[in-house]
Amino acid sequence: MTPYGPIDLRPIWPALIVAITGVVVLLAQALTPKGHRGPFAALSLIGIGAALVAVALIATGRGRGAVMAGVVAADDFSLFFHVLLLGIAGIVVLLSPSYLRATGIDRGEYYALVLFSLVGMLGLVSCRELVSLFVALEVMSVALYALAGLHRDRLESQESAMKYFITGAFSSAFFLYGVALLYGVSGSTLLARIAPAVRAASGGSASMALVGAGLLLVGFGFKVASVPFHMWAPDVYEGAPTTVTAFMSAGVKTAAFGGMLRVFLQALPALAADWQPAVAALAALTMVVGNLGALAQTNIKRMLAYSSVGHAGYVLAALVAAPGIGTEAVLFYLVAYSAVNLGGFGALAALARNGREPLSFSEVAGLSRRRPLLAAALTVFLISLTGIPVSAGFVGKFYLFTAAVDGGYVALAIVGVLMSVVSAYYYLGVVVAMYMREPVGEDVWGPVAAPAGVALALSVFVVLGLGVYPAPVLAWARLAARSLL
Amino acid sequence: MSSGSLLTALILLPLAGALVVALIPREAQRAQKVAALAFTTAAFALSIVMLSGFAPRADMQFEVSRPWIPAYGISYHVGVDGLSVWLVILTTFLTPLALLGSWYSIHERVKGFNIFMLLLEAGMVGVFVALDLFLFYIFWEAMLIPMYFLIGIWGHERRIYAAIKFFLYTFAGSALMLVAFIVLYRAAGVRSFDVAVLVRQPVSPELQMWLFAAFALAFAIKVPMFPFHTWLPDAHVEAPTAGSVLLAGVLLKMGTYGFLRLALPLFPVAAARFAPLIAILAVVGIIYGALVSLVQPNLKKLVAYSSVAHLGFVMLGVAAMTTTAVVGAVYQMLNHGISTGALFFLVGMLYDRRHTFMIEEYGGLKTVMPWFSAVFLLVCFSSIAVPGFNGFIGEFLILIGSWAAPFMPGRALVVVASVGIILAAAYILWMVQRVLYGEVTRPANVGLPDLTPREAVVLVPLVLLALFMGIASPIFTRTIEPAANALVQQVRAANR
Repeated sequence: MTPYGPIDLRPIWPALIVAITGVVVLLAQALTPKGHRGPFAALSLIGIGAALVAVALIATGRGRGAVMAGVVAADDFSLFFHVLLLGIAGIVVLLSPSYLRATGIDRGEYYALVLFSLVGMLGLVSCRELVSLFVALEVMSVALYALAGLHRDRLESQESAMKYFITGAFSSAFFLYGVALLYGVSGSTLLARIAPAVRAASGGSASMALVGAGLLLVGFGFKVASVPFHMWAPDVYEGAPTTVTAFMSAGVKTAAFGGMLRVFLQALPALAADWQPAVAALAALTMVVGNLGALAQTNIKRMLAYSSVGHAGYVLAALVAAPGIGTEAVLFYLVAYSAVNLGGFGALAALARNGREPLSFSEVAGLSRRRPLLAAALTVFLISLTGIPVSAGFVGKFYLFTAAVDGGYVALAIVGVLMSVVSAYYYLGVVVAMYMREPVGEDVWGPVAAPAGVALALSVFVVLGLGVYPAPVLAWARLAARSLL
Repeated sequence: MSSGSLLTALILLPLAGALVVALIPREAQRAQKVAALAFTTAAFALSIVMLSGFAPRADMQFEVSRPWIPAYGISYHVGVDGLSVWLVILTTFLTPLALLGSWYSIHERVKGFNIFMLLLEAGMVGVFVALDLFLFYIFWEAMLIPMYFLIGIWGHERRIYAAIKFFLYTFAGSALMLVAFIVLYRAAGVRSFDVAVLVRQPVSPELQMWLFAAFALAFAIKVPMFPFHTWLPDAHVEAPTAGSVLLAGVLLKMGTYGFLRLALPLFPVAAARFAPLIAILAVVGIIYGALVSLVQPNLKKLVAYSSVAHLGFVMLGVAAMTTTAVVGAVYQMLNHGISTGALFFLVGMLYDRRHTFMIEEYGGLKTVMPWFSAVFLLVCFSSIAVPGFNGFIGEFLILIGSWAAPFMPGRALVVVASVGIILAAAYILWMVQRVLYGEVTRPANVGLPDLTPREAVVLVPLVLLALFMGIASPIFTRTIEPAANALVQQVRAANR
């Protein structure tokens, strides 16, 4: 017996399965003779599949709503994110083998690190207790520091890992300090106990709660790369191996927004009137800085990095709304955003050959002649990023801006659509290069491998499917959002 | 087929065609062209079936409404009334002609061209039949993509610049409209995006002003109204013939149609207050478009700027908000689609032969290409509203309808607009004189081939229709009038 009663392990089944798979991959790596390719990707996919089965069993059986020791919840919110994050990891694993081979980093620990990072992400969206949440955040981040620096012989990759590590450590410190202050106010790290204590707080302890909430906002702000905590993102995204960048832009952002929603809505609803204006200001700044930054880029990977900063701003804009409509809009958008970013970075990764991939606009010139299907897929992703129908990105932005208007911030919605217009310019720049310019020189890019092709096809399917018929996923997001209240 | 699913079939048919073309091997270009033409022709036939079942009443017909995203009150709601039924026909009529007209003009990436043309048709039909704001916006925006590719891939020298400019202008215009949709949705308090529902929930006059402004900006850019017209000459001139035909023939009407379908009925009070401004800009557009056309050395640019003037007439009719003027505006939308569509075809045919748009490169074509010249002259008559042709009816209805307009200084504006008619005659006839008459001055023009049978098949229906609409206008106005009258009554009642 613990102070919390009997421990119910069901909420952490999926994470356990993923962690065990990670260990198995490491062992398989040790047992694989040098010079041979191990079945790492296949093992990882099996693990991710098994974890999805576990999620399905929890969702359909009595495990739904279970709580492990008051700390890890299997509510609809965490189940929604489990499916999304496992899906993201699955697509990353599908994209990886051909890219790793083309860039010479085809090793088992890559997959193990992806899986360990995934464990952290799964924890981040389901922990109801701040110290466990912090541990999950670190598990996610530490594995990613190593992944970012996996290109040992590339300076940019080393720079990327170093920058990510240092800013990550800073943000962890902010986060931890915020946790300490909230503990000081409430005497607990459980979200459920913090909420009433913060509500009752007055005078000095009320300001302490406010400062604590602010520090948590900074900590999460780093992870989702919102302005002014975004400086690391372009360099890190650019330097990291492209499949890792895809994983970071989709997975980390998704998990961090998941954790942020849970903490702010479950522990700090009483302070909503205080943090909402701050979030609104951050949202506007992030949208503007991210999109204007992307406008100036000539490197596609860097452009997508800035664009992902901008997209964090769109998501933040929805957080100012009432918890219900804002949360469901965020959840829907994270699905759309993840599919699009995996596809965008994945399309670049799929072309890698001899350690290089197309990065400049001239390197993708005339791509529609040489890789018509891949160019079409990338166009779908770029259209979705711009927010043009018929795509998940359009429906997602529509929900986000509806939420912002709902919260009384019409100005945020206006900034959002205007920045979408700005973004059209740089996204369409890639389309112009691919379709309206002639190819330059020899065709040096690799053929699209089958697994990567499957991953891109899946992303296209999600993007177009949600664009045409978003109702089921929206209903599911609504269910998940309600379980937080 | 039940009458309810007809409009859905009309949207899906081109989409199915795009899918079929996509599955045809890249080398089989002829099969791709034939398939695209077959699907667009079938869509035209289907739209004629729709027309035969259309009754001249004010209500929506062939209506379908199904929940789509129920959580937000978004539905798949389509239907046609007198304001939209002819625009649907215009779309399905011009698309196969555009394909046929560019049969031999497109040599590269034929497959993509046909796919984008079919996607474009689906989007255009969708805009004219959508009765839900969200659905309307989806078609409105989705249609930008195929047009962007059509200009950017198959256009002339400055095609990339023109494509990006076209896209950013229209996208910027409609971005604020999306916010206005959302604000309206919240303010109306009915949790529905259905236009018919929202019309019955008028919002406060102050809010109407803001929302009308956002809608009007999107539509004014599309029309385009002076001073939002600067994207038009680039897009029209750089687009391939088929793109120019559909751009001028159909896309511009989406702006004027947007005013009639959404901006006026949803915000009647604001519409009445904005009417003088719109009417003045419309008249400025008429004069400005005519003056610029007068000095254009480039044939295609001349036709493009003449569109600014013609659409100015349409907007004058919209702003007048009398039944006669609105009927005239809708009629003039059709006329412009036919006459300017035909002009772009003719200019494109000259370009196919001589690869230049400069007027000075031509001259004396009457003796070289007699049939071409005859058609050219007839189309020009239609364009400058010679009595007996369709353009005369439209402009006449707009002018007499605007004379006693309730919300604007009608008489003064009508007088100025009439000057535009004279200017139109001047720039068109002067252009005709320089292109068709006189001596053949350039050796390259000697022995130019006359109209081919394929080109005749494209042009003859347009010319016949221009004449028919000039003589038998009641057949058309009879179906437009009830819906126009209902709209006018609604706007007036709200301003009483």
